[in-house]
Amino acid sequence: MNGDNPLLRVRDLKVGYEVPGDLIVPVEGVSFDLNPHEVVGLIGDAGSGKSTTALALMGLARPPGKILGGSVEFGGRDLLTLPDAEIREIRGRDIGIIVQNPRAALNPMLRVGRQIGFAYRAHNEATEAAARAHAIDMLRLVGINDPERRVEAYAHELSGGMAQRALIAMALSSTPKLLIADEPTSGLDVTIQAQFLDEMWQTVQKTGSAMLLVTQELGVIANFCDRVLVLHKGRIVEDAPVRQFFAEPQHPYSQEVLRFYHERASGYPEQVTGGAGFLRTDALTKHFPLRGSDKVVQAVDKVTISVAKGEAVGLVGESGSGKTTVGRCLMRLEHPTAGAVILDGQDITALNAAEMRKMRSRMQIVFQDPFDSVNPRWTVADILDEPLRVHEGGDKAARRERAVAALKQVDLDPSLMIAKPRDLGASTLQRINIARALICNPDFVVLDEPTSVLAPRARNSLIALLARLQKELGISYLFISHDLTTVRYLCQRVAVMYLGQIVEEGSVEQVFTAPQHPYSRALLSAHLMPDPTNRRVDNPVPAALEGEIPSPIDVPKGCYLASRCPHVTDACRANPQVLTDLGQGRAVRCERVVAGEITLQEAAHD
Amino acid sequence: MLLRYITRRMLIGVIQLFCLVIAVFFLIRLLPADPVSRLVGLNSSPEGYEQAARQLGLDRPLFEQLWIYLGLSPDIAPGLLQGSLGVSWASGSTVGSEIATFLPVTLQLITLAFILAFIISIPVGMLGALNPGKAADKGVFVYSLFAGSQPEFWWGLLFVYVFYFQLGVAPAPLGQLSPMTFPPEPVTGFMLIDTLIAGEPAKFFEALHHLMMPVITLAFILSGPIIKMVRQNMLRALQSDFVLYANLIGLPRKRVARYALRAAMGPSMTLIGILYGFMLSGAVLVESVFSLGGIGQYAIRSVLAFDYPAIQGVVLVITAISLVVYLLLDLIHAAIDPRIAY
Amino acid sequence: MPDQVQDLLLDETTYVPPVRKADWLMRIGVSIVTLVIFLALFGPYIGPYDPTRTTIRIAVPPPGLTEIPGLLAGWIGGTLEYPPHWMGTDANGYDIFSRVIAAPRTDLKIALLANILSLITGVFFGLVAGYWRNWGTELLIRVSDVLQSFPVFIMAMVLVALAGRSATNIIIALAFVYTPIYLRLTRAEVLGQTSRGFVEAARAMGNSELSIALRHVLPNSLTPALIQSSVTIGFAILLTAGLSFVGAGVRPPTPEWGLMISTGANQIVLGEWWPSVFPGLAISLTVFGFAVLGNALERRYERG
Repeated sequence: MNGDNPLLRVRDLKVGYEVPGDLIVPVEGVSFDLNPHEVVGLIGDAGSGKSTTALALMGLARPPGKILGGSVEFGGRDLLTLPDAEIREIRGRDIGIIVQNPRAALNPMLRVGRQIGFAYRAHNEATEAAARAHAIDMLRLVGINDPERRVEAYAHELSGGMAQRALIAMALSSTPKLLIADEPTSGLDVTIQAQFLDEMWQTVQKTGSAMLLVTQELGVIANFCDRVLVLHKGRIVEDAPVRQFFAEPQHPYSQEVLRFYHERASGYPEQVTGGAGFLRTDALTKHFPLRGSDKVVQAVDKVTISVAKGEAVGLVGESGSGKTTVGRCLMRLEHPTAGAVILDGQDITALNAAEMRKMRSRMQIVFQDPFDSVNPRWTVADILDEPLRVHEGGDKAARRERAVAALKQVDLDPSLMIAKPRDLGASTLQRINIARALICNPDFVVLDEPTSVLAPRARNSLIALLARLQKELGISYLFISHDLTTVRYLCQRVAVMYLGQIVEEGSVEQVFTAPQHPYSRALLSAHLMPDPTNRRVDNPVPAALEGEIPSPIDVPKGCYLASRCPHVTDACRANPQVLTDLGQGRAVRCERVVAGEITLQEAAHD
Repeated sequence: MLLRYITRRMLIGVIQLFCLVIAVFFLIRLLPADPVSRLVGLNSSPEGYEQAARQLGLDRPLFEQLWIYLGLSPDIAPGLLQGSLGVSWASGSTVGSEIATFLPVTLQLITLAFILAFIISIPVGMLGALNPGKAADKGVFVYSLFAGSQPEFWWGLLFVYVFYFQLGVAPAPLGQLSPMTFPPEPVTGFMLIDTLIAGEPAKFFEALHHLMMPVITLAFILSGPIIKMVRQNMLRALQSDFVLYANLIGLPRKRVARYALRAAMGPSMTLIGILYGFMLSGAVLVESVFSLGGIGQYAIRSVLAFDYPAIQGVVLVITAISLVVYLLLDLIHAAIDPRIAY
Repeated sequence: MPDQVQDLLLDETTYVPPVRKADWLMRIGVSIVTLVIFLALFGPYIGPYDPTRTTIRIAVPPPGLTEIPGLLAGWIGGTLEYPPHWMGTDANGYDIFSRVIAAPRTDLKIALLANILSLITGVFFGLVAGYWRNWGTELLIRVSDVLQSFPVFIMAMVLVALAGRSATNIIIALAFVYTPIYLRLTRAEVLGQTSRGFVEAARAMGNSELSIALRHVLPNSLTPALIQSSVTIGFAILLTAGLSFVGAGVRPPTPEWGLMISTGANQIVLGEWWPSVFPGLAISLTVFGFAVLGNALERRYERG
């Protein structure tokens, strides 16, 4: 697949750093070519050396790292041997780069416009005024509304998506021949991510640049890339056109990564019968008072959900939708402002402190960040012993046996009992968190984005583990997630949240195949399915939402989505919407859908 | 916005000072010291003792004393509300006027020491930050730890021994000017300025000569924490994402260096404030080694004489100056870094 | 599935405790601190002279470098009239060497006890103020803020001079000025810990608040205060010496470094350098040792 005249020719690139008495080489011999106008994906797990490789292509390494060897040929010259002044000319002029965590990459003390101007003037003769005008043009090109105002903004005043756009405006300001995008959408919300990638892809097409897109997400690769490079343990183990990669992965690592997506075709989880309303909430509401003001943040607004015995219900929504707060209210880690939480017929919001502590053996929670959820000073044995000590007491040796059994239940080796959290990886620790949550045999577990910090591969096996445990133990799950793929695999029913309200609920199959609420539809269409035969860039993009989520402090009077909805009418803006039952367990919060005014198109996927 | 912020900070400062005054007032009176017998001597007659106590106002109930000090009974004696810090028991003159003569000496000393410390520390700290892990950096680092943990009065004595006794390049440690020199008319209280106002450049250089040793001593001690701070903040700035990105986008070296420097300056302000405040009372020892007659020596004299109004006055004035310095530096920090909101 | 999972996690299933190497700077710190602790325990007994008794030889300079071997031989052979004054004697006839090595008993005792006292009170109030936030603890912090705005040296001087110049009063005075530092440090750390996942998890598991505070929050909030201890002990030694130097510290003839420097200060302009230089060198090295140790601990903590 390598052309005769590649734009960039990388050979045997090695990057490493010294620790006392040892040399660690995360990138040990990367070789590949990039052709003009090509969009190439570089995929690999966290820690596989993706970002390190991306930086090394520009002749840089994050301290204390050093480029140890190899060559990066660009325009007939080896970038790694160029003197500092010359490589500085190439950076930004011929090769542009955008990085993850864009807000940190922008200088916090300078206005965005000035920074873009500096980048432009570093490579082009221009007056300050001309650079500023160019900055405004670039911001407009990357899809920023009102660029004249935004050039005056500081990094901390921009949202993540906005900052990433500012970064790409800077990277493309000198029309480079190659754009390196290092996980540009990590940390962005699903709808923003899709929108951003669409815009980036279009901009690159307009400027005629080639692009190296570094990512962990197969969906991003499938929808935007022509060719895939797979980086595993510091080497490129596979280099294939994108369709071929998805159809016939060659390397065992690639096969492992893709397996989950192949298995997925097997259908939706079976519906649960009986035991309805085992856990339910009744108009659960949570307001947070704002300091120094009589306004409140309306985090959760009259949410009523119910989870049957042995059922997994997904709660999906973007950041700020209130889904995590719902989970915390269920656990009474947050005391609801109004409404009730009923577990097995008992209102837990009415329990006193001692009763509540007892109740906690029946309900548990697994948090998003596995490292943060365990006491860093304790061993795995201490961690697993804690719930037993609190709720059951008794013989120490027996408790230890229970802990070992719990480790085995999550497919971990008992030798881990003496390990401390800092010596373990994210996926192992998350299994320990799950083991700890299950050790007292709870009836109900809140899973608060348990897979969001894991690499896709680890994510897959964790979801499979959760599904298996549910089947074996008959627990109920509330699975909070923004990742629709995992919800589809694990859950029977799903509720979609937006700005503290549930806007749609139903079985996973109903909602995923035929979403009705405009927000659910946008969310699903923004979801990047790892399917290279139905690429997003080859299809007209379905109606996207405009702008960003409004502040939960001053919520709109009528429909909360009114400011972003493509189907909005004056009535929507005026009337508060109610969640209307459509039968068969489905409900939707949109007058126009209920009235049949919005034609249902089948979702693009499946 | 800015004005409101300054007003608010001033208000909080005044409240804090008020609490401080109350705390110090009671603290020194709760301690088992007898200022009256310190004044009249242990062998005085009971009548003499009582008379002295009456003169000092110590025969009045505690709260009445506080009232008078605060200035709530101006018919008896002026107090804080009238802008008076009271009358020194030891000397009989007003505490305010005494502090006004002693304070400029200290301010002049530590300001010069800070300037000198910065001139040394910024390049040295940068040297360390630009060569992380190398020998130069290790040297800089060990020096900063060493200088920051030294007994300054001992170094002052050492310098006196070496530069005055052995080499003879420094004057005897006997004050701001040689005892034979007639000091200029005090206008501002700052010797360097007053000599210039008086139009006596010879005395100006003499004062500078006398200040040399104490300033070097203090600057040496100060250079420890300042170098450490410059090195650390610069290292952090150089390793930050936005400096890396500035390199990635091909900005010239000079521009990148300016990015890093500005980022390192902001967080340094807080520490400088704390150090300055600390030095206001920490200069005591160096002042006494060189007999400079600063606020610190005034404090020693007052403490050893159990001179309560003077002690209260010194603590109040030093704390007030520290609070103003903190405020000024916070304002500079906010001007450097737009993320700091008022 | 499980077999593949095992495969995926293979590199993490066996646990090898990590090795931590002490760097050379840390070794210097540890050596100095160990020596000072040793002298604090045995210093008063191992010197050639009683540190609190004068000799008839006044202001004798220390032996020159060339004289040392001869003196050493004579001392071991027992042919000397009296044990040599390795660091000379001061204007009162005290043997400086014996006093320098006896002084840690005073200096370190004061610094250590003041530090422990302030550490315990500061950590206790810091935990309370950080974990239980209400108007009561808010008031506590305000009071601590006022205390912290006191000029340290002058406050210590006031407290000791007015309460009486004894070691106990110095300890109390130092503890008084250092407690707010620990309170603030611990509170900040506690505030950071309380929002962490494992604290939430402990709550979700049904632990009582007291148990969470003591079992989870406190152990994870202690490290900065313990690191600060090393620095504080060093500064407490400086402060103790400084108080003696201005005449507001322990009373003579207690062997104390600051007092010794102060005694020699008047002679130094006359060229008698030894009564001040040796005790000063001892302070200089000791405080440096504590600073180095504190810094090494801090770096180790940051590395995790």
